[in-house]
Parts: sequence; structure tokens; C-alpha cells
Amino acid sequence: MGLITVSPSPHDHSSESVPKLMYGVLIALLPAFLVSVYIFGIGTLIVTATAVISCVLFEFLIQKYLLREKSTVKDGSAVITGVLIAFCLPSNLPIWLVILGSLVAIGIGKMSFGGLGNNPFNPALVGRVFLFVSFPVQLTNWPEPLTNRMVYLDATTGATPLALMKEGMKNGESITSILSDIPAYIDLFLGKMGGSAGEIAAIALLLGLAYMLVRKIITWHIPASILLTVAVFTGILWMVNPDKNPDPVFHLLSGGLMLGAIFMATDYVTSPMNVKGMWIYGIMIGIITVIIRVFGSYPEGVQFAILIMNAFVPLINKYIKPRRFGERLEDG
Amino acid sequence: MSQWKNFSKGFFKENAVFVLLLGLCPTLGVTTSAFNGLGMGLATTFVLVGSNIVVSLIKSFIPDKVRIPSFIVIIASFVTIVELVMQAYVPDLFAALGLFIPLIVVNCLVLGRAEAFASKNNLVTSAIDGLGMGLGFSMALTILGAVREILGSGSIFGFKFIQGDGMIVFILAPGAFFALAYLVVIVNKINKKQA
Amino acid sequence: MAKKESTFISMVFTLFLVTLFASAALALVYEATKEPIAEAKRLKKMNAIGEVVPDFDNDPGVEVKKLGMGKDTLYFYHARMGDSVTGIAVETYTYTGFSGLVKLMVGFRPDGSIHNISVLEHAETPGLGDKMIREKSFDKKTGLSWSSQFEGKDPQEYLLKVKQDDGDVDAITAATITSRAFCDAVQRAYDGLQEIDGTEEQKSE
Repeated sequence: MGLITVSPSPHDHSSESVPKLMYGVLIALLPAFLVSVYIFGIGTLIVTATAVISCVLFEFLIQKYLLREKSTVKDGSAVITGVLIAFCLPSNLPIWLVILGSLVAIGIGKMSFGGLGNNPFNPALVGRVFLFVSFPVQLTNWPEPLTNRMVYLDATTGATPLALMKEGMKNGESITSILSDIPAYIDLFLGKMGGSAGEIAAIALLLGLAYMLVRKIITWHIPASILLTVAVFTGILWMVNPDKNPDPVFHLLSGGLMLGAIFMATDYVTSPMNVKGMWIYGIMIGIITVIIRVFGSYPEGVQFAILIMNAFVPLINKYIKPRRFGERLEDG
Repeated sequence: MSQWKNFSKGFFKENAVFVLLLGLCPTLGVTTSAFNGLGMGLATTFVLVGSNIVVSLIKSFIPDKVRIPSFIVIIASFVTIVELVMQAYVPDLFAALGLFIPLIVVNCLVLGRAEAFASKNNLVTSAIDGLGMGLGFSMALTILGAVREILGSGSIFGFKFIQGDGMIVFILAPGAFFALAYLVVIVNKINKKQA
Repeated sequence: MAKKESTFISMVFTLFLVTLFASAALALVYEATKEPIAEAKRLKKMNAIGEVVPDFDNDPGVEVKKLGMGKDTLYFYHARMGDSVTGIAVETYTYTGFSGLVKLMVGFRPDGSIHNISVLEHAETPGLGDKMIREKSFDKKTGLSWSSQFEGKDPQEYLLKVKQDDGDVDAITAATITSRAFCDAVQRAYDGLQEIDGTEEQKSE
């Protein structure tokens, strides 16, 4: 270790670049959106449009009539929150639930704390977890991929690969027999599986990640640390007992892990400010995710993991400060 | 301070829950329905009035160094009385409130009023203080319980007005924090306007 | 009025007096409420039994059989009309609920089929697992609730397992674990009942 740690600062906090960064994130979300429209059809369009419109509207109304402050709707953060909420909901969710989730995300998750920059928790995840805990039946009703794409709220529903895995393991089935009910890995990679609207296609999400890295919107540390931790942790479990634990590839490709690691954990406001902090944050998210998936009662845990670690971000920032220029190591 | 002011301060200006943020353990724990909140509030009110009366009666006989243990014994006795009476005559409510009835002993509100008010004031003033504070506490718990019941179960005082469930999160622990936080905001806003 | 000084004697004396009065008051209240508390508990049990078995005119709380099974004990309450047994209520349990312990009262008819089931104690998730309680899943239109599907079923031919496990029971939506636990408890009650019957027959032989 050198005496001086120079922290890369990807976050340009000058006011005029906030919208620019936000619209960059939106472009990065586009591939996942297109895949989702292809897989789930009109449901994705309706849910996403509803979430975006209601997030923007609620932010505008709350700022204008409750807080009476200058509107920040134009910075695009409410649009991103809306897209992210829609991406982690089933695309056949009733519209009023989408609106309620947006209200909770913007009202409780963001505006209660003072708006963009002051919210300790990722607003989209606050909305999503609120809905998940409140309406578990509707929130675990996933549409089948590639069927009935022209209708909204269709009746054919199926389970996510993670839910199938959890169910099978509870019944004591072997991994190979469970995997035969689950789409092949290449289908998981391309997004042909049941799940929330935007979480399904790993390839589209990775494309978005690549775009954000090239444009220097985010750094690679958080997504890499989360995905690596999940791979290593589940890899160890798999090597110890391959009959009882699915391999790391399955864990990486299924559920909301990619979406969470790439777009939600990397939210500027709710993630640590320096590289060392990012590693701690990412590794802990990975560990908590795997613990919930493997040992918990819910099939998916990445949303909870990110929210839990959001709460630790101020602490991480406080104790892992980059050393100031010229400051000496005390004993080292 | 007039007795009316003494009585009414417990409702808004010095409301135990919304302003002083005292006694939050039962507040968050039992308010899954308006009825539970009301029951818990009234049980606490009884203990509060009883202990305030007894403490103000015997305050001059108690040596300073053992006043807290004496107060606690008095409070614990009243709590046990409430517990036994509820078990005998309202067993269903007792089953719903469960562990939180014995926990009234450690409610900061009760010991706080005994120590800060009843040990310095006469019998009537202390009794009125206990009653006002207790009813203010009951009001707060009932409102919180009602909000959580309306949102969480779609019913009020057990009367269901929607088919099916509400937002389950409100009858779980996190919902208690959400509801309390926004109620505190509203009450503070009202108090600020009056001041 | 001057405060009393805190000498050793005065402190001991005061505490002694305070505790003396407190315990005297408690003893009085305890005596006064002893009867009503016992009565309230008996009524509660009677109600639970009355809910799950057909009509009876005896006091099932008097004739109780116990049977240790697994980690805990099952209690059997015999309901009679005159001399004939109209039903047996079994207090049963399971630890496999979503939040651990679930206690049920399962009523059996003399032919071994299930009459009715009520939940005595549970900590399942509100809105999900607690749908096993009749009032929580009662549908006004059909007059049925989730646990209605058990009524009149004979566990000998009715497989007490959820459909996901190739049984005959429709699980509560999004609460499969609770439904499994429920079946587990009912099955345990039935097994216990068979065992009790077996020993009775041996006795009479």
C-alpha cells in the first residue's frame, strides 16, 4: 500500500451533469427493456409506462404541494426509479399495485428523506419490497415467458427458476431432476424464463453494464464484487455437495441478481464513495444474497441484501475515508 | 397551571407517544388493531392513575435513596392487578396483548410520571395528570392501531369494509414504524401551528 | 414537608412496608380472580372443543387422555351424548410452521373422519399463513374457508399432503409451508387417535 490513496471519483456532483448521468443510465436500461417486451409482450409496456408516469407525477405533486420546493423532476431520477420498479415487478401485476409501489418508492423511499441525494435507501427497492411484503400472492405470480404476449393480466402463470429450485430442494429432490424442469442455461442467459419484467435477460443487462462502464457512468467495482462473491460462495457450496446445491452459473443467471448488482446496488446516492468501501459493500451484498437464497425461506434475496447494505453505507463512508493528501499513516 | 390544562396536556402538547416518544415498545408492538391499541392504552391508564395516586400519597414517607425501588414495587403491583383482572374478565384481549401487559412495568411513561410529577405534586393534581397522560396515550395507541388496521386488514374495530386483505406490511413490524413516523409528522405540524 | 432522611433503618423499614402492602393487595386480588380465571380458561377450552365436534352433553374437559408423541403431548377430549361417543377432539401440534409451533384442535367423528378443525395457537404470517384460521379465509359467497376442505374427509383414504407433494390438499396460495405444517399436525392427531383406539381395544379384550 502506498502512503497516499487516490480515490477515483466517478461521481461528478455538479448540478448540470446529474440529468446527463441519469439519461445515460436510462440508455443502459434499454436492452433489458426490449428483451422484456419481446418475452412478456404488452404487460411490460403497461407496467413500465405506469410506473414511470406515476413516479414522475408523485414526485412533482409532493414537491409542489407538500414540500413547496423547487421541482427536481427534470433530473430524470424519478424516471429511473419508475423503470427500476417496473423491472423488478411481474409484468402482469394489476395497475393499482404498480401505482401504489411508485407512491411508496417516491413518497416514503425518497421524498420523506429530503429528495434525491438524501435518501439512504434505493427508492425503487423500497417500493418493490413494500409491495412484496404487502401483497405476496400477486408479487409471486409470474407470467410464462413467450405466451399470451398480446394480453395484459393473462391467466397462465409459472414459477421462477429460483422458486422451482427452492420448492424442489424442500421436497428433497436431487439437483439434476430439478434442473430438468428449469430452462437451459442458454435460455436463462437470453431471458427465456419466468420472472420480473426486467430481470430476466442476463445478456441485455450485461450490455447495459458495458455501456455504463464505457461512458464512465459507474465503475466496475460494485457489480464485480457482488457477482464474484456470489460465484465464489455458491461455488464453495457446490463443490462441498453438488447434489444439494446448484452450481454458480445457475445462481448468477437466475433471479434479480444481475439487475440488482448492475443497476440497483450502483445507485450513486445509496452506495459507498470509495473503492475500498465499494468492495466491502459489494461483498456483503453477495454474501447476504446467497444466505437468503440458500438458507432463507424466500427464493430470492438480492433486494433485501441491497437494502440492508444501503443502511450500512453511511457507516462505511465514515470509517473508510480516503486518506487526505499529505496525511500520514499512523502506524504502518 | 389550571387543572384543565394539566389534564389536557397529555393529548397534544405533551402526548407521550407523538411528542415525547415515550413508551414506544407497547406502541409499536400491540397496535395491530384499533381495539388492541385501546385495550393496551386503558390498561396503562389504570396503572398510571393508580401509581400516581399512591406515589403522591406516600411521597413524604419515602427516603430519597429508595424511592425508585419503592415506585417500581408500586407500579409492578398495579400491573399485576391489571394482568389478573384482564385474565379473568377479558381473556381474549389478554391473549391478544400477551407479553405486553407485564411489560407496562418498564414503560418509561409510568415511572417517568411517578418520578417527575407525582412525587412533587398533591393527590388530585397527580391523579388528573395520570388520567390525562394515560388517556392521551390511549388515544395515540388507538389512532395508530386504527391506521394500521385500516391499511393492513381493511377493517376498523374488527368491522371489515373490504373483501380480502389490506397491505399486510402494516400489520407487521415495519408498518408500525411507517405509520408512527407519519403520525408524528402530522402531530408536530399541528402543534407547530398552534404554538 | 421535609423529606425523610435516608438512614439504613428508615430505608429498610420503608421498603418492608411498601412490599408488605403490595403483596397484601396482590394476595387479595389473586384470591378474588382465581375462580374467574379458571372459569375463563375452562370456557375457552370448551369453546375450542365445541367448535370441532358434533353436539354433546357431557363435559369433555373431564375425560382427558394424554399421549406423548414426538416432541410433545397430544390431548384427547371425548365428547358424548348420553353414553355414545359423538366425537373426539384432539389437541395437536406441529413445529414445522413458517414460524415454528402451530397448535390445532382437530375434531374426529366416531368413524374416524374429520369433523372440523380450529387453530389454537400460531405465529404464522398475517394475510398468508393465518388463512388456515377459519375466519381469516372465510368467503361470504360460498360460505367456505380454506380449512373446509378437510371436513368429512377420512385420513385413511384422504392423503394429508399438499398437492405439490402429491397429496389431496389444496395449499394456501403462497403459503405452502404453513399448509404442509397444518397437514402434519392433522396427520399427527389422526395417528395418535389410531394409537389410543388400539390400546383401548386391547384393554377391553
